[in-house]
Amino acid sequence: MNAPTRRVDAHDKVTGTVRYGADLTSPNLAHAVFAVSTVGKGRVVNIDTAAAEAVPGVLMVLTRVDASELGSPGFVMGGGYGFQSLQPLLDDRIAYRGQPIALVVADTLIAATEAANLVRADYEVEPIAVGLDAEAAETLVQQEAIPLPFLADIVMGDADAAFAESPVRIEATYDLPQQHQVPMELIGGVVGWRGETLVVHEGTQNAGALRGGLARQLGLDPARIEIISPYTGGGFGQKNSLQPHVGPLALAARRLGRPIKFVMPRTQTFHQASFRPASRHRVRLGADETGRLLAAVHEVDQQTSRHDLFPAIYTEITSRLYGIEHFRGRQRLIRTDVQTPGFMRAPFEHPAAFAFESAVDEVAYALGQDPVALRLANDADVDPVTGQPFSSRHLAECLRRGADMFGWAGRTPEPGSMRGADGTQVGWGVASGAYPASVAPAVARLSAAADGKVTVGVDGHEMGQGIRTAIVRLVSEDLSIAAEDVIVYVGDTRVAPQHLTAGSWGTATALQAVHAALRDLRKRLDVADSDPVDVEAAVAATGQAAVDVEATTVAPGQPPEIIEQSRAGLVAFAGPVYPGFTAFSFIAHFAEVRIEPTTRRIRVPRVVSVVDCGRVASPVTAVSQVRGAVVWGIGGALRERSEVDPRYGGFANATMEEYPIPVNADIGEVEVGFVDEPDPLLNPVGVKGLGEVSMVGVAAAIANAVFHATGRRHRRLPIRIEDVL
Amino acid sequence: MRPFSYTAPATVAEAVDVLAASGPGTKILAGGTTLYDLMKLDIEAPTAVVDVHRLTELAAIDTTGPGEFSFGAAARMADVADDPVLRRDFPALAESLAKAASQQLRNMATVGGNLLQRTRCGYFRGGPAFPCNKREPGSGCAAFGGLDRGHAIFGGSDTCVATYPGDWAVALRAFDAVVDVIGPRGERTVAIADLHVEPGDTPQREHTLAGDELIVRIRVPVTSAGRGSTYHKIRDRESYAFALVSVAAGVAFDDQGAVEDCRIALGGVATLPWRCPAAEMVLTGERLTEESALRAGEAAFAGARPGAHNVFKIELGVRTVADALRIAGERAVR
Ligand SMILES: Cc1cc2nc3c(=O)[nH]c(=O)nc-3n(C[C@H](O)[C@H](O)[C@H](O)COP(=O)(O)OP(=O)(O)OC[C@H]3O[C@@H](n4cnc5c(N)ncnc54)[C@H](O)[C@@H]3O)c2cc1C
Repeated sequence: MNAPTRRVDAHDKVTGTVRYGADLTSPNLAHAVFAVSTVGKGRVVNIDTAAAEAVPGVLMVLTRVDASELGSPGFVMGGGYGFQSLQPLLDDRIAYRGQPIALVVADTLIAATEAANLVRADYEVEPIAVGLDAEAAETLVQQEAIPLPFLADIVMGDADAAFAESPVRIEATYDLPQQHQVPMELIGGVVGWRGETLVVHEGTQNAGALRGGLARQLGLDPARIEIISPYTGGGFGQKNSLQPHVGPLALAARRLGRPIKFVMPRTQTFHQASFRPASRHRVRLGADETGRLLAAVHEVDQQTSRHDLFPAIYTEITSRLYGIEHFRGRQRLIRTDVQTPGFMRAPFEHPAAFAFESAVDEVAYALGQDPVALRLANDADVDPVTGQPFSSRHLAECLRRGADMFGWAGRTPEPGSMRGADGTQVGWGVASGAYPASVAPAVARLSAAADGKVTVGVDGHEMGQGIRTAIVRLVSEDLSIAAEDVIVYVGDTRVAPQHLTAGSWGTATALQAVHAALRDLRKRLDVADSDPVDVEAAVAATGQAAVDVEATTVAPGQPPEIIEQSRAGLVAFAGPVYPGFTAFSFIAHFAEVRIEPTTRRIRVPRVVSVVDCGRVASPVTAVSQVRGAVVWGIGGALRERSEVDPRYGGFANATMEEYPIPVNADIGEVEVGFVDEPDPLLNPVGVKGLGEVSMVGVAAAIANAVFHATGRRHRRLPIRIEDVL
Repeated sequence: MRPFSYTAPATVAEAVDVLAASGPGTKILAGGTTLYDLMKLDIEAPTAVVDVHRLTELAAIDTTGPGEFSFGAAARMADVADDPVLRRDFPALAESLAKAASQQLRNMATVGGNLLQRTRCGYFRGGPAFPCNKREPGSGCAAFGGLDRGHAIFGGSDTCVATYPGDWAVALRAFDAVVDVIGPRGERTVAIADLHVEPGDTPQREHTLAGDELIVRIRVPVTSAGRGSTYHKIRDRESYAFALVSVAAGVAFDDQGAVEDCRIALGGVATLPWRCPAAEMVLTGERLTEESALRAGEAAFAGARPGAHNVFKIELGVRTVADALRIAGERAVR
């Protein structure tokens, strides 16, 4: 086998050879910093830039741009391109604390920073509503506010009646806080013009939206825009669309005739980009005495901004985790005075699974049943929502394998019954998770050269998840060529449309297109469909310098024209419901917690996670995806919360030292298993998504373990020391 | 950023001259991990900076004893934390440094600069958007009625409840350290107990050193309660976090096995390093048991004045004191 066993870019990354967006430099680079609103809502009545302009080296202070120069990018979930529809600097409205009020460009970063600090604004301040419970927050019923089929309430049977008649009933409310993605790489990059062409170097998960959105905002021909994003230093959903800094930078760069570097300060990334909204879940579960789940009601209130409706899609998985006949979902949106929230790893599924899988645990305890056995007994054999088969579903296998690996049989069921010698309370918890297997349209170009090398240009973004490695593996395995002979371009609008890479469809989507292109390449090279290929000889035999092929693939059931939507930079993915089947990835997590007898610190010494993600496309990066997700789950369960002072709005702990993401010392052993059964229907490579499902259910497994340790049920995350004292 | 002059004197004597000649806006610079940070936040705006970070004269670590240990003000936190004698004879001091900040910061930061770090209160650091009597005297205090989970339950006033965030000074406070300073008016020695001050009506004033006074060294009397000591720090994550509650504890036993010397100081809960004489009295002459340790903890936290979100620090603190005393007792020579 020639396939690489480690990341193909590991060496380059470790040695610092890899260039991220903001690593670029050029002799005439200018630097930008935004001055931001210090009030939570209102109007700028006066802005004084004199002191800022007087700072030596300042080139420009931009407080207002005309709508004719720069339009709204539109909201990415509303047919647009931006993380929110609101484009700062277009008018005097302040919608949230931290909103940019001026762009300062200077010869040096120091001058720009100093000048931005000197911009003074007077505001007319308005009262704010920033929490789900705020009096002035506005509640909308999602299916009425956004009448789109995939956002309608999921209703099967008569859940309320079935719940009322159920012999065993659990009814509880679960709360999850706002959180931020905090990727290591800050938002930003370098924006400049090459003649009439706008060139943007920026770490993103969606170069296509940057191009499409900038074309719309600036009234440019998309062909005159290049987005180059070979590496993203972590996105986790925060970099999934056009950020509002890019448009103003493009204008400023054109006026100055200089490229501009912008790196958003960490605190501003908490206020000028998306985040995980707060959500509240009311779950009702009815069961019979044998533990058969009869009815489920899952009602969700989720925060959004005043200016956009970030949809809530929580019940998509909770309606399918089990074979429950009667289900009713209801999702409402709560408008608050914040920037528009958005996707953060397992955006809906992590909160939904925390609530639902906690409630399932409550049912198991109410019945005195083993939580694994109860889950196995309620497994679904078809998609309960559509009645269609699942493309593949190995959740039961995940639970059984995980229980084995974890040693679940050694658990004593009684809460508080497992203790260390010093009185430490030990708890074991389990939870399941699922994540829709979506697929997006993609274009892959392959070029086989006379020197034997194969160059791949494909839709996809490398944000550390290892998409490059997975592509290299596929090509080198397929053709039996050395990994070094495969060169991959992703995140680059010069080689492919660069549709959004998110929702765990990235690898499956890119591999499917590359796989199709490989089939074409073999035909063009006139070689058999599966044997090893001597690329050098095969290219030479064609008499050409290189053989180029291009393949376009779409999701099952999508019309080929959908690629035009992707070329425009718009969201074009499909799933999880396809004609004839429904596709999800599944996972089971087992967690051990240990709670000190005295100061009650909660430790998580070990987690076992077993995943059904179809075929494992790249074992090394796959394991690390799951480990990373478990770390997030531990953070989500026990630490992370973006603190909000309701009097001021914004986020109070907006730095790396204050926002408590876990550190290495917080993480114990994370053991990962894969079912590794190729999915037979979703795509020819048999791959389902992995990155997001890996986090789904971790927090519930931990909270369930805390209950097992203490007998106290925690329905609000994070569970902190003061909650278990 | 604002322009400031920068001088790096070659000797302590020269540093004193430079300080004597410079005006009120002068700041001493050591590792810069606090000063630069606050300058970037526009909270500190010195007109002149006197860099003492590379003065080897100020960096000596002397743990040969026998009467006292001494640490040059510019000794790095990491070096002091790793000193093998200190780790054996005074674990509370070594641990208070090892459990602070991160390795990278400890490599830069000095044990002198550490004493004068400023509060992490988000409203103080958040800038003009928030009223803060410490940053802008008379402007008010946003922590009242706000996010006060991290705030002080001891030593606060009507104007300020910002926590003193450091760990090292808490351990020093438990063991009666003194600080030698030098300035244009000569040398003097300040007890660590007299270094920091409660906010009172002037929360902007945090310590008793004059702006032109340089900390030269920190001295700690060697005591057997040092060997039986620990710095027990409870925080939101296992590393790289300030204390929710921390306890520097030390005990020494007499021949009968009763506590002869007991030291308890608290961090993370007060506006300055907080010594607990009443709690020490509870144990002195008594046997150290789980029960007596908890009583000491309760005595330590009697009279706490919590806000809206930090009531839990009392219960947590009592238990942290008890745990710290147990760990200290296990280390003490019997
Ligand atoms: C992210 C982060 C996390 C941290 N976590 C912790 C923690 O958990 N626990 C903890 O205790 N600390 C923590 N710290 C604080 C850190 O320990 C201090 O910043 C550091 O010890 C200060 O030392 P320095 O040499 O860098 O001081 P500087 O930043 O150089 O100076 C700090 C102050 O002391 C004054 N000063 C410095 N040297 C002298 C001297 N010789 N004489 C008189 N005045 C002097 C300066 O004028 C300045 O006012 C953290 C800091 C950061 C940035």
